[in-house]
Amino acid sequence: MRERTLFISAIVGIGLIAAGFAVATQANVMPPEASTRAVAVDQLFRILLGVSTVIFLLVEGALVFAVLRFRQRPGDDRPGPAIHGNTSLEILWTLIPAAIVVVIGVYSFQVLAAIEVPGLGPRVVEVVARQFSWQFRYPEADLATTELHLPVGQPVIFQISAEDVIHSFWVPAFRAKRDATPGQISELAMTPIEVGRFPIRCAELCGAGHAIMTSEVVVESVEDFDAWLAEQQAMANDPAQIFLTMGCGACHVLTVAATTGTIGPSLDDLPGVAGTRLAGVGAADYVEQSILAPDDFIVSGFPPGLMPKTFFQRLTPDQIERLAAFLLDQP
Amino acid sequence: MTTASASVSWRRYFWWNTDHKVIGVQYIVTSFFFFILGGALAGLVRAELASPATDLLDGATYNQVMTNHGTLMIFLWVLPVLAGFGNYLIPLMIGARDMVFPRLNALSYWMIPPAGMLMIASFFAGGAEAGWTAYVPLSIGGPPGQTLWALSVMLLGISAIFGAINFLATVIMMRAPGLSIWRLPLFVWGMIATSTLILTATPVLTSGLIMVALDRVVGTHFFTVTSGGDPVLWQNLFWFYSHPAVYIMILPAMGIISEIFPVFARKPIFGYRMIAMSSMAIAILGLTVWAHHMFTSGMDPRLRVPYMVSSMVIAVPTGIKIFSWLATIWNGKLRLTTPMLFALGFISMFLIGGLTGIFLAAIPVDLHVHDTYFVVAHLHFVLFGGSVSAVYAGLYYWFPKITGRMYDEKIGRTHFALNFIGTNLAYLPMFIAGLMGMPRRVAAYDASFTSYNQWATLGALILAASTLPFLYNAVLSWARGPKAAANPWQALTLEWQTSSPPPPENFPEIPTATGDPYDYGEPSPAAEPAAAPAAG
Repeated sequence: MRERTLFISAIVGIGLIAAGFAVATQANVMPPEASTRAVAVDQLFRILLGVSTVIFLLVEGALVFAVLRFRQRPGDDRPGPAIHGNTSLEILWTLIPAAIVVVIGVYSFQVLAAIEVPGLGPRVVEVVARQFSWQFRYPEADLATTELHLPVGQPVIFQISAEDVIHSFWVPAFRAKRDATPGQISELAMTPIEVGRFPIRCAELCGAGHAIMTSEVVVESVEDFDAWLAEQQAMANDPAQIFLTMGCGACHVLTVAATTGTIGPSLDDLPGVAGTRLAGVGAADYVEQSILAPDDFIVSGFPPGLMPKTFFQRLTPDQIERLAAFLLDQP
Repeated sequence: MTTASASVSWRRYFWWNTDHKVIGVQYIVTSFFFFILGGALAGLVRAELASPATDLLDGATYNQVMTNHGTLMIFLWVLPVLAGFGNYLIPLMIGARDMVFPRLNALSYWMIPPAGMLMIASFFAGGAEAGWTAYVPLSIGGPPGQTLWALSVMLLGISAIFGAINFLATVIMMRAPGLSIWRLPLFVWGMIATSTLILTATPVLTSGLIMVALDRVVGTHFFTVTSGGDPVLWQNLFWFYSHPAVYIMILPAMGIISEIFPVFARKPIFGYRMIAMSSMAIAILGLTVWAHHMFTSGMDPRLRVPYMVSSMVIAVPTGIKIFSWLATIWNGKLRLTTPMLFALGFISMFLIGGLTGIFLAAIPVDLHVHDTYFVVAHLHFVLFGGSVSAVYAGLYYWFPKITGRMYDEKIGRTHFALNFIGTNLAYLPMFIAGLMGMPRRVAAYDASFTSYNQWATLGALILAASTLPFLYNAVLSWARGPKAAANPWQALTLEWQTSSPPPPENFPEIPTATGDPYDYGEPSPAAEPAAAPAAG
């Protein structure tokens, strides 16, 4: 009897470990591994998945077996055996999970220590979050954009901040996320290792447009990246580019800029209506005032308080003037 | 029972009453109403997410629906329904005539309907839309309903504190002769652990909510960065309560499961003392893990590791419970009644919630899955697959005791089957959606997540349908079901040693406890008919 129990336990044990190994190595439930972090995190994830699979199958298997095997048969009114406990068994199922937890904890700590260290000579990219758009600044090039470009294989440190509420900068393909909290700058380091376009999503509820607060990171060769940087610098004073970079399109329709946001009023009819909104205020003055102090006049049907009031800091008077002229000069 | 007293007993549920059994039923029925309401909001969420675009609800309305779904389910359903079980069962299980403070007990119930109405009213005053977590500064700038929301949650917290004081004092002061702490039913142990947590953690949430309300109404700057405030402070105050809240919602549920397994396996509970001590260990450890919700925030990176360790260690007492339950049913004579099916379902689904908790505790993995649908799935496996399964198990198990009538087994099993299929279908696909990159709390999503969401919506539809057989069964059986015996399950705990339903003041004569509450099974020839407590 004892020999038979041992034999069955051994077979079940081997089966469970095989199943855990198969799930850990074969499961494909993650986005591409596009950064150094992703490789280390996925390794840990697979080990957790394998261990969990073994425990899952063990417990669910025991449960199903018990239900099938130990059902009360019709006509059998006898109770089960009066077993109140078994000290060695209880010590065993305290110590084994504790040991597993210690191993997982130590390994997780090692992975954490490894992924948080920036590579040599990292490029700083400032990430600025606001309702409901992302802005990326390249201090070395004195440039701000809404699309994130990174050269493949070069270490980067994101310095993440927010202008209004808490957001969270998340690139699933990088397996990395960091909250953008007003009043502080959080750092996130990694090295992109795969060329391609990967989604950026806001992971912290930030208001009505949380779901659409998305962007894209373009990981490209060093040559492509340098060419893109030069092109962006050339466009920095183009008002259409300012419109896009400031994230205006997340909330406003502007057909000439191909934006479709509906949180705020459409700007397509601005040339016709801007001069009529406030008595004695000309069209250009009205538009500039609406950019700087948006709550002074609210288009009916839209709630006050949603549009950021920080543009006086982020744009020069000259840029605001160009932007207003651009909005009033649509075909 | 005469007809006259029956009609009196029917009306007393709608008025001030200090009988703990009436209050228990008031708690359970009121919170079930909010469960249905919260479920309807979940239905709206799942309907919106049936397709990738925002077509049914706009972003702001979606946030209101999602916020109120979470708040209702936690503060007006799971917490109060478990308090309802505590109210109904604790005096009966410890052989007392009532709670030690009956009027405080009635007060703690009667704070719930106004708080619930305040919550519903907030929805029409421009509803709270910052999630149940109400992170500042989003919640400071939100619409007026957010203030009513905060007041409602404060009221519910105070009600819970009154209840916890009463539970602890009752267990300490009112136990029947012979009922030493090592003879207490494990549900009572669960309530001791939960009440300790409520008393320790809830005041911290209340103080945080007062600060939010002051920032909103009076113009203080506790959380305003430009005036020297700190938004991360709110996260600390909130999670210091709200992570223990998960244990507040699971420990009594585990207690219910520990009552049901021995009765329907016809075996003693396996490892009584280890299960009782695990409840206390989870309660104490549960107070030290809150910052694992803040691994991606700006907290000091060096502080994260201790929280990872304490979060993982909780797996050990949780594992002890699961293995002890398995050992309890092993070699038993299982009767697969509806409560037993829900209890088995509890283990199978809570296990998934528990295992995925390890993934979330491991910081490197958490930095990917935090605030994604992976978390939504994990949380619902713990609270819906876990707590709500246990609540259903308990409702069926004590139905004969509470109503004096039997429910219909066949309809009960149908309910279980629909609930089990619906839960797994609704929440399993969410794990993959989250891993693949779907953030939580979104009204729109990338088209690549469509199929996971459609499965989830189908599961939600089945879950909605599953409440119909339950309601039909409960209402019809309460009115016309066959009369229940005093002890239809041949259980040994004290609540079954009086009539069904129990008379006012519970027992004709205060009983004396002489042994183990789970002394089932065929004693081996050598053993005494246990007058001593169970071996640990």
